[in-house]
Amino acid sequence: MPSQGAGAGGIGPGGPRAPWVLLAVVILAFVMLAVAGGPLALRTERPYPSRPLGLEPEPALLPPPPIDDEYFPCEDCHEEESADPKVRELDEHDNIELAHGDLWCLDCHDADQRDLLHLSDASPVEMAESWRLCTRCHAKKIPDWRAGVHGKRTGHWRGPKEYWTCVVCHDPHSPLFKPLEPRPPPKRASEIQLRIYGEQEETSDEEP
Amino acid sequence: MKNPERGARGASRREFLKTAGAGLGAVAGVPGAAQGFDLESFFQRHFRELTQEDLDDLLLRLEQKYSKQYRKPVQVGAIGPNDGVVFGYGLDISRCIGCRRCVYACIEENNQSRDPEIHWIRVLEYEREHAVRSIDPDEGNPFYDHDLVPAEGKLYLPVACQQCENPPCVAACPTQATWQEPDGIVVIDYDWCIGCRYCMAACPYGARHFNWREPEIPAEEINPDTHIIGNRPRPHGVVEKCTFCIQRTRKGRYPACVEACPVGARKFGNLLDPESEIRYLLEHKRTFALKAELATNPRFFYFYG
Repeated sequence: MPSQGAGAGGIGPGGPRAPWVLLAVVILAFVMLAVAGGPLALRTERPYPSRPLGLEPEPALLPPPPIDDEYFPCEDCHEEESADPKVRELDEHDNIELAHGDLWCLDCHDADQRDLLHLSDASPVEMAESWRLCTRCHAKKIPDWRAGVHGKRTGHWRGPKEYWTCVVCHDPHSPLFKPLEPRPPPKRASEIQLRIYGEQEETSDEEP
Repeated sequence: MKNPERGARGASRREFLKTAGAGLGAVAGVPGAAQGFDLESFFQRHFRELTQEDLDDLLLRLEQKYSKQYRKPVQVGAIGPNDGVVFGYGLDISRCIGCRRCVYACIEENNQSRDPEIHWIRVLEYEREHAVRSIDPDEGNPFYDHDLVPAEGKLYLPVACQQCENPPCVAACPTQATWQEPDGIVVIDYDWCIGCRYCMAACPYGARHFNWREPEIPAEEINPDTHIIGNRPRPHGVVEKCTFCIQRTRKGRYPACVEACPVGARKFGNLLDPESEIRYLLEHKRTFALKAELATNPRFFYFYG
């Protein structure tokens, strides 16, 4: 049996035929390799500069919340020691649209330390760390925000990046996202064709 | 350098071409002949066959050409893929409001032709009620024009190159001018593209675009940070598409569309890094791919945040 001879590797009764079988297999393999590696598959001759992975996580920056300089610091106007806790119309702040559940100013702003916010247990919170206050109610958003999937990040996917905090995108007084004016729509294919062949079409229209 | 014999041959070939080019110019007696028809670029090899020397020459030649054309220094880089990185993209369709900020950020970053206009990203608008059952990228309306978005009862689906793991466009190309890089980005060698547009017919997502005319980009709007198989200014008659902002992302930056999105709907990262944003959303959110039944295996995932 020829297969036995090939399997024996050229030793034994099938010996004389085995080298030919081996040679044929080797030639066939070379031909296949040449075809696969030749014109059918381009290879990069120039080695790509390989770069190792960077260290993660990189330090993150929190962009400051958008605070209106005209109104902040609050203590410039609110000099009195304690605020009037009565819910009422505030003429000085009629530019603020308050549409955040049933919240009133002093639910978030501290009545005694006017430049600070406070948590429900009355512990103070800096304006720059307002997300600590937001997440007291919106705790479900924390894992997604920490992972970078809720909210926005800019900078580097691998490297220093900015994590946008709640109030950068959501106005805390009226957190629902406001509609935006869209940028212009794309041109239709027919409009683009007219612009490319416009001149020829005009001349052909005039001829008949 | 790796192959000194080839390097030497390449050098002598270049020298020959330079002399031949000068000779041709002299014979023709036209001073501009060497400029208009460049033997070096005529005999230029495929991007993946270029030696380091050939590539350096090519980058320099392109930088000089573009810097002159746009009257400011334009850099053409060829930064390669990062080790252990395969890019993936996530888009939260529960947040997208259809404002098209991404479309225009992409145009500016990637030097797309302003006239005739080319948009790599199309934002499709659907009736929310219908989209709940199925989203077909062939059915959405990219031409919506409202005063404010999101419009009542509408849903938005931005579509660009899906960077398929199994890209039909690559299989269709007769000149191997388009291929998939080790980091998953499908790129185009604009010097090898013959403009047959087979890839455009093969792409199920309509993500490839053709330069029907010499692209026009105002000199003051050109982005001078370019990549040779990415956002460098394209010639007339070639196909182009999204490259995940190859010139930015290979340096670790986010793509331009991610940074432009006002609602943070766009996510980007390394699929091989278990700590990345893209891996988190694949593991924690409901995701889907467009036309998944075609088994193109997009690396662009839509999700509900």
